[in-house]
Amino acid sequence: MRQDDKTRTDDETGMGRRQFFRALGGGTAAAAAAVASVPLGTTEAQAYDPGNAETRSRYRETDHVKAFYRTNGYETLKK
Amino acid sequence: MARMKFLCDADRCIECNACVTACKNEHEVPWGINRRRVITLNDGKPGERSVSMACMHCTDAPCAAVCPVNCFYTTADAVVLHSKDLCIGCGYCFYACPFGAPQYPRVGNFGSRGKMDKCTYCSGGPEVDLSVAEYEKYGSNRLAEGKLPLCAEMCSTKSLLAGDGEMIAQIYKERVIKRGYGSGAWGWKTAYRETIAI
Amino acid sequence: MLTKRRSGVAGRGSHQALAAGLTAHTLDRRGFLRKSGLAAGGLAALGTVRLGAVRPAQAAGSSADPAQAVIRKNICTHCSVGCTVTAEVVNGVWVGQEPSWASPINRGAHCAKGAAIRELVHSDRRLRYPMKIVNGEWQRVSWEQAITEITDKLQAIRNKNGADSVYWLGSAKFTNEASYLFRKFGAFWGTNNVDHQARICHSTTVAGVANTWGYGAQTNSYNDIRNAKTMIILGGNPAEAHPVSMQHVLSGKEINRANMIVIDPRFTRTAAHANEYVRIRSGTDIPVIWGILWHVFQNGWEDKAFIAQRVYAMDDVRKEVAKWTPDEVERVSGVPGEQLKRVAELFAKEKPSTLIWCMGATQHTVGTANVRALCILCLATGNVGKPGTGTNIFRGHTNVQGATDLGLDVTTLPLYYGLVEGGWKHWARVWDVEYDWLQSRFDEVPASAGRKARTRKENMETPGLTSTRWFDAVSLPADQVDQRTPLKAMMVFGHGGNTVTRMPEAVKGMAELELLVVADPHPTTFAAMDARKDNTYLLPICTSLEMDGSRTASNRSIQWGEQVVKPAFESKTDYEVIYRMAQKLGFAETLFKGIKVVDNVPDAEDLLREINRGGWSTGYCGQSPERLKAHMKNQHKFDLVTLRAPKDDPEVGGDYYGLPWPCWGKPELKHPGTHILYNTSLHVKEGGGTFRARFGTERNGATLLAEDSFSLGSDLTDGYPEFTFGVFRKLGWDKDLTADELATIQRIGGNNPDAVSWATDLSGGIQRVCLDHGVIPFGNGKARANAWNLPDPVPVHREPVYSPRPDLVAKYPTRLDERQFRMPNVGFSVQKAAVDRGIAKQFPIILSSGRLVEYEGGGEETRSNPWLAELQQDMFVEVNTADAAERGIKDGQFVWVYGPENTAKAKVKALVTDRVAKGVAWMPFHFSGWYQGKDMRDFYPKGADPVVLGESVNTVTTYGFDPVTGMQETKVTLCQISAA
Repeated sequence: MRQDDKTRTDDETGMGRRQFFRALGGGTAAAAAAVASVPLGTTEAQAYDPGNAETRSRYRETDHVKAFYRTNGYETLKK
Repeated sequence: MARMKFLCDADRCIECNACVTACKNEHEVPWGINRRRVITLNDGKPGERSVSMACMHCTDAPCAAVCPVNCFYTTADAVVLHSKDLCIGCGYCFYACPFGAPQYPRVGNFGSRGKMDKCTYCSGGPEVDLSVAEYEKYGSNRLAEGKLPLCAEMCSTKSLLAGDGEMIAQIYKERVIKRGYGSGAWGWKTAYRETIAI
Repeated sequence: MLTKRRSGVAGRGSHQALAAGLTAHTLDRRGFLRKSGLAAGGLAALGTVRLGAVRPAQAAGSSADPAQAVIRKNICTHCSVGCTVTAEVVNGVWVGQEPSWASPINRGAHCAKGAAIRELVHSDRRLRYPMKIVNGEWQRVSWEQAITEITDKLQAIRNKNGADSVYWLGSAKFTNEASYLFRKFGAFWGTNNVDHQARICHSTTVAGVANTWGYGAQTNSYNDIRNAKTMIILGGNPAEAHPVSMQHVLSGKEINRANMIVIDPRFTRTAAHANEYVRIRSGTDIPVIWGILWHVFQNGWEDKAFIAQRVYAMDDVRKEVAKWTPDEVERVSGVPGEQLKRVAELFAKEKPSTLIWCMGATQHTVGTANVRALCILCLATGNVGKPGTGTNIFRGHTNVQGATDLGLDVTTLPLYYGLVEGGWKHWARVWDVEYDWLQSRFDEVPASAGRKARTRKENMETPGLTSTRWFDAVSLPADQVDQRTPLKAMMVFGHGGNTVTRMPEAVKGMAELELLVVADPHPTTFAAMDARKDNTYLLPICTSLEMDGSRTASNRSIQWGEQVVKPAFESKTDYEVIYRMAQKLGFAETLFKGIKVVDNVPDAEDLLREINRGGWSTGYCGQSPERLKAHMKNQHKFDLVTLRAPKDDPEVGGDYYGLPWPCWGKPELKHPGTHILYNTSLHVKEGGGTFRARFGTERNGATLLAEDSFSLGSDLTDGYPEFTFGVFRKLGWDKDLTADELATIQRIGGNNPDAVSWATDLSGGIQRVCLDHGVIPFGNGKARANAWNLPDPVPVHREPVYSPRPDLVAKYPTRLDERQFRMPNVGFSVQKAAVDRGIAKQFPIILSSGRLVEYEGGGEETRSNPWLAELQQDMFVEVNTADAAERGIKDGQFVWVYGPENTAKAKVKALVTDRVAKGVAWMPFHFSGWYQGKDMRDFYPKGADPVVLGESVNTVTTYGFDPVTGMQETKVTLCQISAA
């Protein structure tokens, strides 16, 4: 009962969400230009170099992370 | 150094699938790729239990052991990541993984499945942290933003735990003591080859 | 459930393009969303765009100027728990969702729907512009054209057939302000035919609970369940319907090692976490509850002091309960006596105990009676009005509580003011319109079929048609529909077309309408039934997340949600559409008197202020927009269990989160709201209360006022009636009123100021003085075990209309045929015919329906969300393994489910499971878009079809309505199943 391929292609043919948001969200010429020029090399593969930069630690006990731990405990019992 | 872990508290998991859609939302994972799933045992019978599964970021990960192109690496946070630039889509890691974590964009034979995709513990990949390239290939990098995987952060019943293994053990131990009965944790020993002292 | 394990594979083949997105070198949506946000920040030029920039600035190491993501908070629309949604917005685009740690309700958590809610707004399957159907084809039209044509037609229909010929169906996804506005609009149009989803979810709860102790709402809160030592969940599956509530339920269970008992015909995901599961036959709730009470009374476990002080006529209940011996209970419900004795002992002795129920209790022909019995169980055991106790009723949508409160109901005006002269005059004063003008808007109803004629005034005071019967009111012979003419037009705002039972008759009714307007973010089932070729309009309404306004969660906490992004595509807010219609209909100026309107959009804050000015009866008077916004800003200050902020906080000091109603007096009075209703252990100024003295002071020589029970610090140390100016004068409290307050009371009262009450005094003086004397404005009465004004004053068991036990029908028949809500209710005749024709033999399986976690309500919205749709791709029926074996049905194959009316049938997949008992089948109610085996996808406007379609369970559901509210029977009918 899932839709079939036929209907899904509306994405490509109709006024897609992208075009819509371009009109709505981007608005400015700069935004449109940025979108148009997106393959600005960013998606091209960079050489994979598993050096220290990639494997270094990123975890930090920020307030955000502390909030996660706090809400996972029985917080009111400690009061 | 803190070691990142996942733990699903099966006494709390209600198979609500928030972890699954949070993952889709955070990384815009396309239809057909499931970095995280909820598995239910004894469905509809007494003893029914659910558990949320994704890559468990194993110590001495079997996927890495079998990969013919060595695309896997483990970070200092003990997160297992891989390079999609190196991956050849052979599917060996899928066969090696005890949790069914590796996903492929296409169904096909050896080498035609496309680049493997899996849970990154919300910590991106080999590209520059928080870059567009990283996001497009691996999704967001919450760890670099000072956050934890969104699946765990949004878990409806606080069943799915993530973060520093020490902290998780502490939280889980408190629950077990409070409940007065044993462990409902799945997959921990398989993944980490450790016992939890509780 | 059925196929999701395989769905990854199933989905891949047909979604190559999407699936490839993850690695493809094309710009996909996620890329676009993030980048469009960035670009406007001018960062694209730098070349080395750092995506962290769209995140809050705590991401370290970025040398680029971070474009600031704006954080906006709104409330998840998918159930009544009231989860805060934290949205990251960059340049007007919603780019990410973050956990809402600060909310005391969800504490960061979401369910599948909440965690996927961003897609609801950005969905490319939303209706993008107004459409109308011309000769069966959908055409795009402008807003101006749509509104003009619709209002012209409405006016013509009204001129010819009267105001009552148009039905105004509102939504539980409206904000409070939109709900109020919609009801007010209905009043100005001149009809009481204004309803919404509460009719089909908890109307029986509202009626049953309000008739027991005063207000029709959850007495405690989700958070307060953490205090319970015993909890019974009856006819509810919060693990799927209210997942985040389970955070509190399961935490409470662990903290207190609480007993968690689930009573349900189906072994639900919730039952999987219970200590005790009681399987009952669908529709035998009253025998089971009386069976529990039988043990309570037999063993003297009742709370005798509580009953003596605070309950009226419990002895009448004892007489009925005495009939329900363990043997009779087992014969009727299938539950063994010993098990219920265990449940009874836990509930009565391991206190505090709470009772949680949902639609398994309410959606029955005996819904109101079920609810009454549940309340009585709490009263008998003294489990009301304290922390950890109470009737924790989990409601359905975001704002179904608020929409009910604000009068989207055929029997009330906003805030439960009755359809009586006093109620109308109260609102006429608040609205600053002439009462006579309002009256002139209503129809005169001529005499018909032996019924007397109604004047305009009488018609204005007559309850409207219930939404469960709208199509009957179109199709039945005119003399059976007790209004000037039958229905000619349906105005449907935010309401599915597949949520009401008896779909084949709804389709017929749809075809006969002169006008159908669907105002919704999605086309809904109404659009896809191929029932109409002309005179049908679709208006794209934005989602609730694109609207400012307040929402009332199930626990009565009111939360202010801010517009996350501007309405997408050409969609508009409910506020604006109502305003534009009122303009064309010529009453915009009076409707919006005193309300700021900018660019055709009425201001939500001004609407709330008007609600505050008139909302005395329910304590909606103290929650000003300023206070509600301060609560959202200071969420982290509220306690997880008590929901209270520290007293010394400058902004929200001492308040309960969301100022749960009643929040007495004007906002300046700073009443903290009422976390737990009827709680005598607190001063009224601290949120204390008593049972409401709503039903008089005495009946048959027995007092209806509380005895030796009063809230803490009360000046009156016994029961007392509700307060009027007359009562004030007797007590000498009129001297405490200020000159201004007195003047207002005199002005309202005219010749009879003594009659001005706590609920009609617009000065708020009476409430203010009550608080100073420590008394509750609505009086201190007893809860009623006997509600003499209801059809069954003490609940009695009645077999469902389509009973699987015809042998029990003679002893426990449904109620006799009767006219209710302008319509005949012929349940008795239908039941008798079913027995006479041996329907239970031809259709031997009980069919029940319910909820899946991934979808909500009619499901159009959630089935259009690919993140959710991927998880539930097929409509299915749960069939017991034994029933499947008898029929040769294999798991996963297609089957036909046949219903006993209209030769209806539905083609669905079989899920063979022991989750349902032998002889029971269960189907989810979220599907539509297939009809009796036919795929209706082509009838949706192109591109606005949901991802997943399936048969609606209501194609095969049947007749049966609660006599008090017109609630439909969705939980018990009969069916036959065969392999397809």
